Amino acid sequence: MAESKPDDDAVLIEFLSSLMDYTPTIPDELAEYYLSKSGFQCPDVRIIRMVSIATQKFIAEIASDALQLCKARQSAVNKEKRDKQQKDKSLVLTTEDLSLALREYGVNMKRQEYFADNPSAGTNPTSKDE
Amino acid sequence: MANNGGTPTTPPPATTAQIPTNNEKKPDGGVDAFGRAVARIAVAQICEGAGFQSCQQSALEALADIAVRYLRDLGKAAHYYAGLAGRTECNAFDVIHAMEDMFAAQGFVGASDVISHSVSGSGTVREIMQYTNRAEEIPFARPVPRFPVVKKRELLPTFLQMKETPPHQHIPPWLPAFPDSHTYKSTPVWNERKTDPRMAKMEQARQRRKAERSLVSLQQRLASASGSSSLGLAMETDGKGKNSSPSPNPNPNNPFLAPPVGPEEKQVSPVKIPPVLSRPALKLPSVLEAFAPAIDAVKQGLDQVEELDGRRKNPRGSQALSDERPLVQFKFDFGKKAQMAAHATGALRNETPLSSWFSRDEEMDDKKRRVEQILKEAMENPQDLVQL
Repeated sequence: MAESKPDDDAVLIEFLSSLMDYTPTIPDELAEYYLSKSGFQCPDVRIIRMVSIATQKFIAEIASDALQLCKARQSAVNKEKRDKQQKDKSLVLTTEDLSLALREYGVNMKRQEYFADNPSAGTNPTSKDE
Repeated sequence: MANNGGTPTTPPPATTAQIPTNNEKKPDGGVDAFGRAVARIAVAQICEGAGFQSCQQSALEALADIAVRYLRDLGKAAHYYAGLAGRTECNAFDVIHAMEDMFAAQGFVGASDVISHSVSGSGTVREIMQYTNRAEEIPFARPVPRFPVVKKRELLPTFLQMKETPPHQHIPPWLPAFPDSHTYKSTPVWNERKTDPRMAKMEQARQRRKAERSLVSLQQRLASASGSSSLGLAMETDGKGKNSSPSPNPNPNNPFLAPPVGPEEKQVSPVKIPPVLSRPALKLPSVLEAFAPAIDAVKQGLDQVEELDGRRKNPRGSQALSDERPLVQFKFDFGKKAQMAAHATGALRNETPLSSWFSRDEEMDDKKRRVEQILKEAMENPQDLVQL
């Protein structure tokens, strides 16, 4: 595959140059700050943007997984009580969904047994997810 | 900044209404607080892009933490690969290697096609490229300043930068140059004139003129006082008893309102002239004559001088008068002593109205005090002459 190699390089170069116009959601400053903390040293903004895009992709994948879990749970709940269909429509990123999603990515996040997300969690049980 | 964590997401429904209060309780990560706050906003934006309408604070915190950890791990791995290649600066390939490492948790992407082994053609890069094409571009919500803010120390320019040669041989030129010599050398300080010298001179001249004028008026009063000294005494003695004034006087008992008695009208007991003063030294110039040059000097421009001049031109009259009345002997002294002496010696009684007049004037004008002093000094000389 002698011909594919320069092709890949060209694609990579093109991708890197396209990053100059791409603004990732994670700001360059943030990426630069944490990268410099870990010893990463690079004057090229494109490389830093590639790193931040990788992070963004990682987070976005987790978020989309959590969203799928959330939707699945909501549909399961709504199947039981069809009357409350309109109320529980809002999509909320919850810790439970997140911990489930993170398990696939090798991150173990366990909800504390008596962890109250907000002060009114115990007093207002209707808002709490089951 | 910490409160902005949930703002990029859509308005939170009832479940996440307490996000701000939770935020305040959360212990901020000290130095990292700003970075974590920015990461929280970014993660919230990503979640919003994924389709969430709101998120729990704890989930957001956890996800932001994961994002930061991911960034740092990626950086660490890339740095490791750069160090492995003998470089200090990372390049794209180090990052790709690091990404492959990080993505390994999800399985080896693109490992199935055995043919391509080049780094640039690895599956992770392709995935990233696909992601950038697929995902919509959500720029960060607000401008982020560069942080951490590191103050760059401003070094003093060296001798080389200043293009100067060090003043001494032993100072290498790469050392910071000396400051300008005027900053450490002592220089004489000049008294700054607050006023214009010309204006000061004019003011001085004006004051001198004023002093001379008051001196002249003083002279005039002195002359009149010496002329009517015996007259005043006469008024004091018997003006009280009989009222000889023909004028319509509203209060005939008031001696001060009575018209003055002429010098010949009243019989005054002749005063014995002390032997010292009865000597021919009496012919010495009177006070008026002693001051004649001074009066002459200020004669111009002063209308009071005219009257005085008239008196001066006829000194015989006063001289003739001085033969009959007691000679006034002025003994001036400075300060309180002069007042004490004036009160102690009865012979100098006619000085008391003068001194009272002086004191009244002193209150009126400070300049007059100087005039008085000038006069005192001037009076010293005739007195000395008399005593000789």
